[in-house]
Amino acid sequence: MRNKKLLGGAAALLSASLLFSACGSRTEPAATGAANVKIAKIGVIAPLSGDLSALGLGIQNSVDLAIKQANASNAIPGWKLELAAEDDQATKDVGINAATKLAADKDVVGVVGTLNSGVADGVQPVLRDAKITQVSPANTATRLTMGLDPANKVRQAPNYFRVCTNDAVQGAFAAQYAFDAGFKKVAVVNDKKPYGAGLVFEFIKKFKALGGDVVSEETAVAKEDFASVVSNIKPDGPQMVYYGTEYPLAGPFSLAMKTAGLKVPLMGGDGIFDPQFIKLAGTTSDGDIATSVGAPVDKLPSAKAFVDAYNAGGYKDPYAAYGGYSYDAANAIINALKISLPSATDAMSARQATVDAMSKVSFDGATGKVSFDEFGDSTNRTITVYAVEGGKWADKKTGTLS
Amino acid sequence: MQFVDQLLTGLSLGALYALIAVGYTVVYGIVQLINFAHGEIFMIGGFGAMGTWLLIGSATNNLSWWMMPLMLIGGILVAVLTAVLMERVAYRPLRNSPRLAPLITAIGISIFLQEFVRLFYGEIPGFPNAKSAVVMPSIEGFTGQAIDIGGGLLLQRSAIFTLVALAVCWAFLWWFIGRTRLGRGMLATSQDPDTARLMGIDVDRIIMVAFALGAALAAVAGVAHGLRYGSIDFRMGFLAGLKAFTAAVLGGIGNVNGAVVGGLTLGVVEAMASAYIPGQFGGSAWKDVWAFVILILVLVFRPQGLLGAKAVDRA
Amino acid sequence: MKLPTLITPELQRRHSALARIITVVGGLAIIASAYLPWAFGPGALDNMTYLGGPSTVQLLGAALGVPVALGASMAWIEPWLDSRDGLAKRIAAVSKRIAWLRGAKAAATGALVFIAVVVLAIALELGGLVNVEWGGWIALLAALAAFAGTRLMVPGRAPRLHEVKPTGWLEILGIAAMLGIGLLGFAYALNQNDGGTFVAVVVCLTALVIVAMRSGIGGWLSLAGQRNRNVLVFSAFAVAFLFPFTQNGSDANMSIATQVLVFSATAVGLNFVVGLAGLLDLGYIAFLGAGAFTAATMSMSVYATIGWKPPFIVIMLIAGTVSALLGLLIGTPTLRVSGDYLAIVTLAFGEIFRISMSNLDGTDGPDLVHGASGIPGIPNLDFFGFNFGQVHTLFGIPLGRFSNYFFLMLLIMAFIVLVFSRLNYSRIGRGWIAIREDEKAAEAMGVNTFGLKLLAFASGAFLAGFAGAVKAHVDSSATPEQYIFLESAFLLAAVVLGGMGTVMGVIVGATLLKLMPEKLRFLADYRMLLFGLLMVLMMRFRPEGMVPNTRRQLEFHEEDAELAQEVDDELPYEFVEERAR
Repeated sequence: MRNKKLLGGAAALLSASLLFSACGSRTEPAATGAANVKIAKIGVIAPLSGDLSALGLGIQNSVDLAIKQANASNAIPGWKLELAAEDDQATKDVGINAATKLAADKDVVGVVGTLNSGVADGVQPVLRDAKITQVSPANTATRLTMGLDPANKVRQAPNYFRVCTNDAVQGAFAAQYAFDAGFKKVAVVNDKKPYGAGLVFEFIKKFKALGGDVVSEETAVAKEDFASVVSNIKPDGPQMVYYGTEYPLAGPFSLAMKTAGLKVPLMGGDGIFDPQFIKLAGTTSDGDIATSVGAPVDKLPSAKAFVDAYNAGGYKDPYAAYGGYSYDAANAIINALKISLPSATDAMSARQATVDAMSKVSFDGATGKVSFDEFGDSTNRTITVYAVEGGKWADKKTGTLS
Repeated sequence: MQFVDQLLTGLSLGALYALIAVGYTVVYGIVQLINFAHGEIFMIGGFGAMGTWLLIGSATNNLSWWMMPLMLIGGILVAVLTAVLMERVAYRPLRNSPRLAPLITAIGISIFLQEFVRLFYGEIPGFPNAKSAVVMPSIEGFTGQAIDIGGGLLLQRSAIFTLVALAVCWAFLWWFIGRTRLGRGMLATSQDPDTARLMGIDVDRIIMVAFALGAALAAVAGVAHGLRYGSIDFRMGFLAGLKAFTAAVLGGIGNVNGAVVGGLTLGVVEAMASAYIPGQFGGSAWKDVWAFVILILVLVFRPQGLLGAKAVDRA
Repeated sequence: MKLPTLITPELQRRHSALARIITVVGGLAIIASAYLPWAFGPGALDNMTYLGGPSTVQLLGAALGVPVALGASMAWIEPWLDSRDGLAKRIAAVSKRIAWLRGAKAAATGALVFIAVVVLAIALELGGLVNVEWGGWIALLAALAAFAGTRLMVPGRAPRLHEVKPTGWLEILGIAAMLGIGLLGFAYALNQNDGGTFVAVVVCLTALVIVAMRSGIGGWLSLAGQRNRNVLVFSAFAVAFLFPFTQNGSDANMSIATQVLVFSATAVGLNFVVGLAGLLDLGYIAFLGAGAFTAATMSMSVYATIGWKPPFIVIMLIAGTVSALLGLLIGTPTLRVSGDYLAIVTLAFGEIFRISMSNLDGTDGPDLVHGASGIPGIPNLDFFGFNFGQVHTLFGIPLGRFSNYFFLMLLIMAFIVLVFSRLNYSRIGRGWIAIREDEKAAEAMGVNTFGLKLLAFASGAFLAGFAGAVKAHVDSSATPEQYIFLESAFLLAAVVLGGMGTVMGVIVGATLLKLMPEKLRFLADYRMLLFGLLMVLMMRFRPEGMVPNTRRQLEFHEEDAELAQEVDDELPYEFVEERAR
């Protein structure tokens, strides 16, 4: 009796559901626009809401600017470019959903993103499977292009590129600069987040290889840790403290250090290169050092062109730390599209061709020369060192990592 | 020398925990509620003080020393208001519910307050955006170089402030709870609310006073935190709140003296753990872990805490 | 604060006939207005600018108008049916057991809310109320009229459908229809990219559910479900199995769906601890993380730190065991302390787990999980040649990577639900409930409180570990920063808001919490604010959750005599028979 019920129920259910499923399948909406202009979309995956939204919106707006300029100059005849921005809320789960959404969109042919390396861990495989070109303006983790083993570099995804520098380059350069500047005894502080941990690891490796002395390795995850970390470092007498983190922690740390009597410069990566750092660190921040990729903005004509165009674009939010990189990332994709789209019937079939064309991309962007090496890393190994002088960042030295 | 340095560091951090812990312990002693949102009251106290300065002093960039008491008063007022409102609107209707409901409500309020400050603080005219850290003004005398007390030992000004504030507050609490009617009403209610009610004590009012008291102290801690790091941000309540609750439990929940002792102890233990535990599991990376391990050990082997709990253990 | 009673029974008696007419007219007008243009431009929702060509949203509005018109007019139709013989009389007999007026009342309220939401959405999306066309205003007025009309009528009878004799095939058909409509509605709602449409669809579906419950159809269905439990559960899983086939090969919703399943599975595990045994656990995410990291370290990833690479089933079991051991480790010292302390201690443990994982990077601890970088590059599962990363085509519909993982999670979910219900209806389950209600009394009755509490922790953790093992592969990586306290808060919220003690409730809660941020992206900046507010409001007004266990509901509303009476009234047929004797 029971089995009969089950069987009957299954049969009724299966027929009902199949019927409903058939009615429920969606038809794709007809493509809008003029009859002979095809649409290709460049997606953006970045934190558009939440506490990193200032950076994410800057990324979105910069990509939008590049797209608008390309459309205005008819960069790819017969094709119109559109922006498809998705919020990843700086969380891996949401980033994966954003990636699947863009991958399912037949018009998407390239993506600029992500901001956080942790989110990229989830997004990279999805876009790799969909063969969508991904260019990151901000991921610094070396593992995304070269894997975790420096002795055995393996390209992780043929579709993944980045225009910013990675930890290996920035950390090594910082170590070289510090050593050359006379800082032979350095204390290193780690914030145990993906960005900071990677940067500090590379710094220590290079610094020790140069013969420098890392007198102390500490961890400061939150502001409450500062006092005891400073107390631990002081007796070791470092000449400089290298803190791999972003400005919300670095600024107060600099202040804590100086007021506790540890009056040595604080050095960090591009995460602290922000005017907010100086505000948080207060008047004692003179002498603190930061590294950042590319030549200083006011020294590069292409950078100035970007800044002017952005300001004229009427965007509500500033381009923030990664605006220039995102602009270059979008233009890199557009340059690849110039090669792949003309012979394609629709955006989706051009995806693989775009990935292939990326290796030929080479132009002068807002952050310097944009082109990619065999791992997808930027060939632009120009790094500028800035120091705080009179309450502002002033560039001290621009060099290239050999 | 480094030992004394670390000790002072630990004590000043511990004083911060102690100020917040009193709020937890007083509320728990009377209504058996872990006010999860107490860390956010600490944060709001800091923002209230900042707001006071913005309203009064920023126009003229007045950094003179008497701005500080005004900021403290402003911060205390805002924190007390928030706490009393919280109690009245969210906790009072749930007084007789099973334990889970007030706890979830507290978590909800905690998240709500964090987001509220983050989103709307900048909307007040003249106030900076709270989405990133807000820099505190450098009030003369309270900020600046550490003071040399001989032997190469430097004492941070913020540390002095925190320790002095703790001492003052402790004295105030001793007087309030021991010598005033309201204070003794609090003691009575924490022992047995029904009998207290029979004795003519307005229990609702006592509970409100308890919240207000905890909020006032937390606000002072918020200002101390701002002085210490030069800035405040909307997320500063979470970790500090957790540590402060650890301190309250360590000292004996419901016991005001216990909260103070627990806070100081925890601060010192953390400082010592980061400096002196050898090997891979030492150093500042594992500092928080050791703090929590202490909490668990205390709960297992001496659940009434170092000084003994005042309220009956409702297991 | 009591609202002043505007509507007195005296008022209702005087105007009931007129009100009935108004309601029927209102309902018909709502249906008719669907064919009118509601919006000025095509950009709002799903294009409601046509006269005579209703969009789906408009049709949903009409669907709400049908119960209004039908319900109010039944008072005229029923006597007519009754006077006829044969089939008509039998229909009338069944119809008399349905609470038509209550259903109409709910439908009128639902229609009003729905149309108001749609009008608001049009205004927000097109920029101003001026963009709402005359059809929309007519719909709104009709809904208002129906709402007023239903309130001015004398209240209808109570539903008595549950007293009908059980009819096997009809009940099964009912269950099938309900699940089918559910699948359709869910798939449709999920495919909406426009925030306004999504909200409107959800409001409509919720309103229809409430109409069904108030009219008695919902009660009958739920009884049917209870009587044919096996059919219901089997069918529910079959329907879920069919879900990927409605996606036309797109993985966009499947990644969301898979995440929902992983989250739900973990939440069901938490349900053991919080819902059944009544223990407050604020660090639950650590168990999910432990499972994920265990699986990651033993996966085929080149960064995996453990050399042994067993088959996935073994990995899952080991992940579950590791989590369970962690649960025992946490439980043994802490389960002796009181409930509130337990909450803080578990929170502390959650933080310890996260900090420890961050520190296991070679510098501050053995390099087990590469610290903050975590273990990336976890390749797809491969079961005997079935590669989860490849697209497989079934019945002509391509199923991508996330669909494959969805099926796997569905199987695991089935296992978890099975374990849950077996334990729930056993001595162990009853022991847990006894502990939850009054621990000292339970102990006095001979219940091994400590052992059972430990079992709750361990079994909940085991299931979470299972889910974590799959999650590591779905995410292709495992990083410590995924397992923060906020996730524990979400899990707890899913269990509490959804309805403690019931699997259905937990799944509903988990689905909503994971789905809302994805679909309501226009609220993105305010999502945490609304989440906090939601928790506070839910605890104030409906602490037992959305789909509560009746026992729990009564626990939370001890003073509510009306509720007790309602529950008593809704006794099913089997009990009615007893009473009648």
